[in-house]
Amino acid sequence: MLETRALNKSFGAIHVTKGVSLRLEKGERRVILGPNGAGKTTLFNQLVGELTPNSGSIHLDGADITALRVADRARLGLSRSYQKNTLFDGLTIGENLGLSAAVALGKGQGLWRDPLQSAEVRETVKEVAAQVDLAPLLAMPVNAVSYGIRRQLEVGIALSTRPKFILMDEPTSGVGPEMSKGFHRLLKALPRDLTVLIIEHDMDLAFDVADTITVLNYGEVVFDGLPGAARDSQLLKDIYLGAWEDA
Amino acid sequence: MFTHTPLRLTTLATLAIGALAYAFVAGFFGLEILAEIAILAILVIALDLVAGFGGMLSLCHGALLGVGAYAFTVAAKDAGLSAFPAMVLAVALSAALAFVIGAVCARSIGIYFIMATLAFGQMAYSFVFQSPLFGGDDGLSGAPRPDLTAIGIDLTDSRAFAIYAIALVALTYLVAASTLRSGLGRSLVGLHHNEKRLRALGLTVWRAKATAFAISGALAGLAGCLAAQHTQYISPGLLSWTVSGEALVVVILGGLGTLAGPIVGAILFVVLKHEISAITPYWHAIVGLILIAVVMSRANGVFGYVEARMAARAAKPTLEKAKADA
Amino acid sequence: MTTDLGFWVLQTLNALQLSMLLFLLSVGLTVIFGLMHFVNPAHGSLYAFGAYMAASLAGVLGYWGGFFLVPLAVAALGAVLYFTLIRSQRRAGPMAQVLVTFGLIFVAVDATRLIWGDLPIGIAIPAMFEGQLPLLGVEYPIYRLFIIALGLVVLAALTLVLTRTQIGAMIRAGVDNDQMAACLGINVERMFFLVFVVGCALAGLAGAVAAPVLSVTPDMGLQILIPTLIVIVIGGLGSLKGAVAGSLIFGFVQTFGAVLLPTLNSVLIYALLAAVLVIRPEGLLPAKG
Repeated sequence: MLETRALNKSFGAIHVTKGVSLRLEKGERRVILGPNGAGKTTLFNQLVGELTPNSGSIHLDGADITALRVADRARLGLSRSYQKNTLFDGLTIGENLGLSAAVALGKGQGLWRDPLQSAEVRETVKEVAAQVDLAPLLAMPVNAVSYGIRRQLEVGIALSTRPKFILMDEPTSGVGPEMSKGFHRLLKALPRDLTVLIIEHDMDLAFDVADTITVLNYGEVVFDGLPGAARDSQLLKDIYLGAWEDA
Repeated sequence: MFTHTPLRLTTLATLAIGALAYAFVAGFFGLEILAEIAILAILVIALDLVAGFGGMLSLCHGALLGVGAYAFTVAAKDAGLSAFPAMVLAVALSAALAFVIGAVCARSIGIYFIMATLAFGQMAYSFVFQSPLFGGDDGLSGAPRPDLTAIGIDLTDSRAFAIYAIALVALTYLVAASTLRSGLGRSLVGLHHNEKRLRALGLTVWRAKATAFAISGALAGLAGCLAAQHTQYISPGLLSWTVSGEALVVVILGGLGTLAGPIVGAILFVVLKHEISAITPYWHAIVGLILIAVVMSRANGVFGYVEARMAARAAKPTLEKAKADA
Repeated sequence: MTTDLGFWVLQTLNALQLSMLLFLLSVGLTVIFGLMHFVNPAHGSLYAFGAYMAASLAGVLGYWGGFFLVPLAVAALGAVLYFTLIRSQRRAGPMAQVLVTFGLIFVAVDATRLIWGDLPIGIAIPAMFEGQLPLLGVEYPIYRLFIIALGLVVLAALTLVLTRTQIGAMIRAGVDNDQMAACLGINVERMFFLVFVVGCALAGLAGAVAAPVLSVTPDMGLQILIPTLIVIVIGGLGSLKGAVAGSLIFGFVQTFGAVLLPTLNSVLIYALLAAVLVIRPEGLLPAKG
C-alpha cells in the first residue's frame, strides 16, 4: 500500500503540490492524468525522495518514509522510470538491466563476485527483457538503438529491481501510436500483485490499463475514481479539452 | 563495462613477457628504468581505476603515493617493523586516507571534485613538508627493501628488485581488474554514466565512491612503498600535485578507462623522458606537445586508439547480426 | 607584537596586496569558466610570460613601456591560443580543453627556460614608486600600495563594464544561461573570444606588476596556478563577486596565517578550501542562483 497524506510542495511562491492525499492498494493500477504543469512529475519526485515535501507525509505499507533518502526508499521496493530517458549510455542493454538488478539485489558494493554472472541477476535480466520485449537486443549498446527501444529499456531498468511499487513517468512519451500499443500490452502483462502508478498523457492508454484514475490540476487532486466516471466527468472535459479531442 | 578483450589480454601478456625477458638481460641502467616504470605503472593503474572507470579525476594520487612512502619508511626505520608488515601498514593508511577523501568528495563533481582532491593532496603535502617528524624539505632516507633471502632472493640486487617490482605491477593489475568485475566495479562504471539513476535503484552512492577510492588509494600507497624501497630516499616532492598531474597525463597518453593502456603510457612516458632528456633538457615541452597532439586527435590515448580501430572493424558485423535477430 | 597597531596595518596591507594580485589573475579565469565552462590551467603561464616580457622590456623601454605593452602582447598570445587550440576543442568538451591547456603548461615552462634561462630575473621598481610612505604609523613600500590601487581600479572598471554596458549585460546573460544568450541573438563566439583575450591581458598585467616584487622564474606560473584556482573555487566559479571574495579570503588567510599560526599556515588555506567544498560545493558566491 502506497499512501500520501496532505502533501504540499512549493518552489518559492509557486505552490506545485497542494494537499495531495492518495491511497494505492496493493496490485492497484492507477493512472495520473493532468495538463502540463499540473505537478505530476513533482509528485513523483516526492514519492521517490528526489524532492522533500514542505509538509505532509508519505507511507509505504504503513511505514512513514517521508524522511528516507532515495536509495533507502528504493530498497523498500519503490522503483521509478523517468519521463526523460535516464539510462547508462555507453553500456549494452543487457548491462543496463544487469547493473540495475545487481544494485537492487544489494550486490552493488560487493568486492568478490561479478554480479553480472550471478544466477539471480541473469534470471532477472532474462525475465525483465521478456517483459519489455528486449530479449533479442541484450548485446546492443544503448547508444546504438532507436528512441523507442530506449524508452522500453527505461521501463525495463525500473522493473529490474523487482519492485513492489513502480512509478512510471509517461512511459510512452515521444513514441509513435504503434509503439504505444505495444506499451499497452506490456503494461497489461505486468504481474497483478505489482502496484503501478503511471503518469500519462495518452487517454487511450489511461482508460485501457487503469483500475483507477487520479486527475491533478494546478497541483490539486480534482478527480479520484474509476475510469468510467472519469470518462463522463464534465470537470475533466473542461480541464482536458485539447487532449480529449486528440484522443 | 570492463572486459578482457583478446586485444587487452594479448597486450598484457606481451608486456609481462617483455618486461620479464628484459629484466633478465638488462644492465644496471635498464633495470633502474624498469623499476621506475613499474612504480609509475602501479600509480596509473590506481588512477585509471577511479578516473577512467569512475570519472573521478583525482589530483591527490601523488599525495596518496607519498603517504604510503612516508608511512612505510617511518614504520620500517623508526618503528622497527620488518618490511612486509610496514608495507601492509602503509597501504592500509593510504587506503584509509583515500576512503575519507572519497567520502568527503563524493558530492562534488567535475572541476569541484578535481579541486577538492587537490586540496586534500596539498594538505598532506604541506603537513609532511612542515612536520619535523618527517625530515621536512630534506626528506628521509634509509627505507629498507624486503628481506627475501630466506627463499633465496636478494632484493638489494637490482635485477631481483626489478622482477619484484614487475610482480607488484601484476598484483596491482589483478586487484584493479577484479575490483572492476565485482559489484562495486560495475556500480563504479554505472556511477560514471548515471549517478542519479543508480541512487534511484538503491545504491548508497557515497559508500561506493569512497570504497573505490580507498582501493585505488591502497594501490597508490603500494606504489609509494615500492618507490621508497627503490631509491631508499623520499622527499615531500613525492606528494606534490604535479606528481598527480603527471600521472593523469600518463593515463591520458595511454588510454583512459582501459587499464592496460595506462601501463603502455607509463612505459612510453618513462622511456621518452630518458630518451628526450638525453638529447635536450626541455623534455617537458615535448611531453606537453605530445599530450596536446593526443587530445586534439580525439583518440583515447595510444592504446585507446588501437582499441577503437579494432572495435570499429569488429562492430559492423555484430550490429548487422543484432538487427537481423531483432 | 600583535597588540601593536602598526603590525595589523602592515599585515593588512600585505594581505590586500596579495589579494589584488590574485584578483587580477582569477577574474579572467572565473569569467572564462562562467561562459565557456572550462578552467584554463595555462592562465598561470600567461602570467609568467607577462612577468618575463616586463623584465625584458624594462631594459629597453623602462618599466612603463612594459606595463602598457605586456597586457597587449599577452592578449595577442591569448588570441593565438584561442584560434589554434581553444576554439577547436570547444566541441570536444571541457575535459579536452583542460587537457590541451595542461599540455600547454609543460610547453610554456620550457619555452620560458629556453628564452630567458633558468636563473631568476629581477626587475627594478619604477622610479616614481620607489621608497616608503608613512601610513598609520608604519612605513609601507609605495609600489605595493600601487598594486593595491591598481587592483581596485581594475575591479571598479570591470564592475562598471559588467553592470552598465551592453557587452557586460551580454556576458552576464551568457554566464547565466549560454543557450538562452545564443537564442537572444548574442554572438556567443565573439563574446567568448573577447572575454578570453581580456582575461589573458589581465593575467599579463598581473605578471608585469608582480615582476618587481617577486623574482621572475620559469615555475612562477605553476606556483600561482594553485592559489588562483583556490580563489575561484572558494569564491564560486563564474562570478566577479566570487573572485573578489575568494582573493580577499586567500590573501588574508595566507598573510595572517603566516604570522599568527606559522606552524599551521600552509595547511590552513587547504583546510579552508576543503571546508568550503564540503559545506558549499558551489563556492561562496556562485554565479548561478
